[in-house]
Amino acid sequence: MDWNLLGLSFITVFLSELGDKSQLAAIALSGRSQFPRMVFLGTAAALLLTSLLGALAGGWAAELLPVKTTKAIAAIGFAFLAIRLWCNPDASQHEEN
Amino acid sequence: MKTDLPTQLLEAELKSEHIAIAFENTDTITESQQPSAFGQSSRTVFATTFVTIFFAEFGDKTQLSTLLMSAESQSPWIVFGGAAIAMVTTSLLGVLLGCWIATRIAPRTVEKLASVSLLLISMMLLWDVVQ
Repeated sequence: MDWNLLGLSFITVFLSELGDKSQLAAIALSGRSQFPRMVFLGTAAALLLTSLLGALAGGWAAELLPVKTTKAIAAIGFAFLAIRLWCNPDASQHEEN
Repeated sequence: MKTDLPTQLLEAELKSEHIAIAFENTDTITESQQPSAFGQSSRTVFATTFVTIFFAEFGDKTQLSTLLMSAESQSPWIVFGGAAIAMVTTSLLGVLLGCWIATRIAPRTVEKLASVSLLLISMMLLWDVVQ
């Protein structure tokens, strides 16, 4: 077991992910969610899958899915989540209770 | 049983009972996984989070650095292990921070702030696409 390599990859990824958009999204989505555990599991699973693809598939992954396309899809997804959160009818009810 | 009671009183009692039962029912519904107006079951929360973050992170610097490290080191599983622990940690920290913030600020404010930050992330991603 190469502990140096394990530590190096941990620190590299930890520092690059700290305060990055996924973490911001996790903070934003968990606050008003009924299921923060699901937000955690969803975020962690998505990150794990991308890095698994990165580590195993290598450059082939980038050919499979063009980065610009995936980013555009993600941008639409985040905008959708933002709008849904902005006009959330549930929350106003909860606030009244 | 209550036949000798005045009918009006009996009706009133029955009504209040009904109301109480109705409230209990709605409570259990919101607590369980029944979707609300926006269909927010635990499964949809997981799926929407997973899909948006997967696409956002695909081809991002973290994926590229794990890619490079695994290519250089020839041991992709160890690189993936380190990256995996780091990602679980950062997402756990994020969710814990989000929940903590939600206990300190009014729900409506949390919602607006969260909505604005999600829009910002969306803008950041669009900027990446344009560049």
